[in-house]
Amino acid sequence: MATTQRTYDEAAVIEQLHHPSTARAAFGQVIAHYSSTLYWQIRRMVIDHDDANDVLQNTFLKAWTSIDNFRGDAKLSTWLYKIAINESITFINKKKAQNNVSLDDDDSFLVNTLESDEWFDGDETQRLLQQAIATLPEKQRLVFNMRYYDEMKYEDMSEILGTSTGALKASYHHAMKKIEAFFAEHD
Amino acid sequence: MKNEESEILNRFGRDAGFRVPEGYFDDFNERMAAMLPEVEITEVDTKPTLWVRLRPYLYLAAMFAGVWCMMKVFNGFNQNISTEQRVSEVASGIYMENNADEFIMSGCASDYDIMTYEDSVMMDEEAR
Repeated sequence: MATTQRTYDEAAVIEQLHHPSTARAAFGQVIAHYSSTLYWQIRRMVIDHDDANDVLQNTFLKAWTSIDNFRGDAKLSTWLYKIAINESITFINKKKAQNNVSLDDDDSFLVNTLESDEWFDGDETQRLLQQAIATLPEKQRLVFNMRYYDEMKYEDMSEILGTSTGALKASYHHAMKKIEAFFAEHD
Repeated sequence: MKNEESEILNRFGRDAGFRVPEGYFDDFNERMAAMLPEVEITEVDTKPTLWVRLRPYLYLAAMFAGVWCMMKVFNGFNQNISTEQRVSEVASGIYMENNADEFIMSGCASDYDIMTYEDSVMMDEEAR
């Protein structure tokens, strides 16, 4: 059966999002276009697939219920990324509270279940890398994931995280150093 | 930093080892679209207004007008200086001596002035 692939036109979608009659269908296009990108960003933060699924749902629900606040001043992707990051951090903090982990502690506890995760098929070194990343402070984790895995430009990261490109480069550099030190200790 | 990055890249690559169930994103997109609650959407005209569309051109025009004004002011300032200089030269007689031909040609000097000037030139030549 032949399938028709609808091309995604962001300007047209934004226009449709602001009209009650077309908003729902337009948001459907937004979901289809951004679900994968946002999922991987969230997954690298919360590690577990089911958790990532929940956070992704919350991200789109929040975006949909506050669509009136999106005026098109920023890029739609930037706005969605911001929501996804906030939702991920909120989720991690809730999970920390449930697991009696101090908010000041790093997110290493998230990686503890990775061995038994059916949706993780990495080897021991990949698991160790996730452990190393989880020891980073939240901001450095975000910067590392965006830069290393998504190869995102510093300018785009700057818009999403509201930090100067210089500070982001420094953050990435520190993250690299810490990961290197982690492996020097664990090899 | 490049070295550290390439060391990590060589060792791990960009694959984190995370996977998703087959057809997850297609399912998710359908489920998500179906679970969106009813929300009230305020109709907004996102088409740019006339002002927004004309703004860059107006800014450009204002910039050129500003440059033109600055040039005018600068030229006026230079002209003021040369006029003042000319007034003082005329007052001291230097201007008449240096620009006698110009005065004569432009009709600023009377016949008497011309005769007096020619006499003084002849007297100067004779004295030499």
